Amino acid sequence: MPDPTATAIAADLLHRECRYLDTRDWAAWLELYAPNAVYWVPAWRDEYTQTSDPDTEISQIYHDSRSGLVERVMRVQSGKSVTTQPLPRTTHFVSNIEGTWEADGAIGAHACWMVQVHDPRTERQHGNFGRYELRLGETNAGWVIARKIVRLQNDRVPALIDFYTL
Amino acid sequence: MDASQLIDDRPAAGVFRVHRSAFTDPRVFELEMARIFEATWVFVALEAELPQRHDFLTRQIGRQPVLLTRDGAGTLRGFLNSCRHKGTLLCPFRAGNRQFHTCAYHGWVYDSAGRNVGITDQASGHYPPAFAQESHDLVPLARLDSYRGFVFASLSGDVPSLDEHLGEARTLLDLIADQAPDGLEYIPGEASYTFDGNWKLQFENGLDAYHFATTHAAFVDIVRQRPRAAAAGPAPGPIVSGTVSAAHGHAMSWSVGAPGQGRESRPLVRDAALLEAVRQRVGEARLDWMLRQRNLTIFPNLQIIDIQSLQLRTWQPLAVDRTRMSSRCLAPRGESPQARRFRIRQYEEFFNAGGLATSDDNVMYALSQDGLAAHAAGDMHGYARGMAAPPSAADTFAPLALGEARCNASSAGLAFGDETAIHPGYREWRRLMLRI
Repeated sequence: MPDPTATAIAADLLHRECRYLDTRDWAAWLELYAPNAVYWVPAWRDEYTQTSDPDTEISQIYHDSRSGLVERVMRVQSGKSVTTQPLPRTTHFVSNIEGTWEADGAIGAHACWMVQVHDPRTERQHGNFGRYELRLGETNAGWVIARKIVRLQNDRVPALIDFYTL
Repeated sequence: MDASQLIDDRPAAGVFRVHRSAFTDPRVFELEMARIFEATWVFVALEAELPQRHDFLTRQIGRQPVLLTRDGAGTLRGFLNSCRHKGTLLCPFRAGNRQFHTCAYHGWVYDSAGRNVGITDQASGHYPPAFAQESHDLVPLARLDSYRGFVFASLSGDVPSLDEHLGEARTLLDLIADQAPDGLEYIPGEASYTFDGNWKLQFENGLDAYHFATTHAAFVDIVRQRPRAAAAGPAPGPIVSGTVSAAHGHAMSWSVGAPGQGRESRPLVRDAALLEAVRQRVGEARLDWMLRQRNLTIFPNLQIIDIQSLQLRTWQPLAVDRTRMSSRCLAPRGESPQARRFRIRQYEEFFNAGGLATSDDNVMYALSQDGLAAHAAGDMHGYARGMAAPPSAADTFAPLALGEARCNASSAGLAFGDETAIHPGYREWRRLMLRI
């Protein structure tokens, strides 16, 4: 049974993440993640199962520290990556949030997500969707993401996929 | 529309041009499907994907759905994935293991060797006598064969043997297969993606060293600022790059000595025991070639990229301006866990659409496709680099023992950007497009 307080904490964090991504506040977005946060987008093995061991199976994205996310932001800000010229407009939606307390005081959370992505150059739109699994930890500065698993349901990627379209 | 007019190939005059409509005309696309993808050898799978009897997988050749199986006797088989009754897609799954395939529509049954073993209510069907005279087995692919575990198929029987088709590209495939004494395998997990561009944009890009520094500038910057890279210092020797252009459209671009691309960046080197086993089998000279950066294209639909990890990618043209890519990470069986983990991280960083580099190629293809629509702008100038390259130093190529392939090498290093490795593919393209 989800706990109302844990769920509220998870919802606040997820809502802010959506807002930071859609308003392109990359610095604030990075601050949501612990320095040793795991950010993981598994790949699909077949129609039903995803890869489950990032050290022996391929993932779409796997980072075991925030430095991987910092590099992605660096790429976006460099202006040299044609993928970002121009950046698409995104709106993230998150719902069905279920938060529970873990034994060590962390919060575990599940949620559904969807992002609509509009490319202003081609005037084309695509949407990605799936589920999140999170582990949140409390710091002096508030709750942060210790681990985020992004389960992307529609994994036939239209040219690009990155933290701001997941 | 005359396909023969689309390639202007006059080496003596220093001219090689590809007309824009080769990329933009839907009529060209339909001909390519019929005369290239559905009429010559195409890559379809690894033998390693079908290890057990009754294993199957489904793929696409051109516009046509196919079913590959390992039959009850252990033989690799290929068929059109189409029930003989009404043509319905027989097998809707990507892969699995089935002794029998039953069509969901009217229940006709086939075994893993493609034989029809059941026609629903046949005895009650009042079939005409002629019906029993016909075979209702699945239609086999005209050709199916493999080289070093790479499986190729052709929907047309009017092709040379696979060995003859691959020709000297077999040596280039050997440089990959010989890294795996116990055989190659796919690491589980597939990344598929699409780009809004013609398939030939991908074909060219894999043989285009010239684009790397510009298109992937953001990636290069990121790698350079990492503490490990900064500490590594300059490369020890000269930077040499070049190409190998073989018959039937196959080609390879290669380089050695560039900063950040040294041996320490190669997964094979992370497994000392495996590296030594490979060295014992192939010798130092061949091993040196294996540890060079190599991008191999097997015309018309396969690229194997052996740089900071080992990628196998293949493409399925969906439309003149849309292509579906499938990307896998190749690895030697029995690799050490730390080498395997490194290989995976290296692969994810660059090759997946979610990495730091591939999406820049994909978006560039879309920009190319949109720019190619400017037919009033006339010819492109993108195929000339390397046409005046002097004969290469034979020494560097000696370990490959290539007799007929044109081999280029330049100590200008990554600045060479040889474009001539793209020419063989278009010559083969033209040959196939004009073949009735």
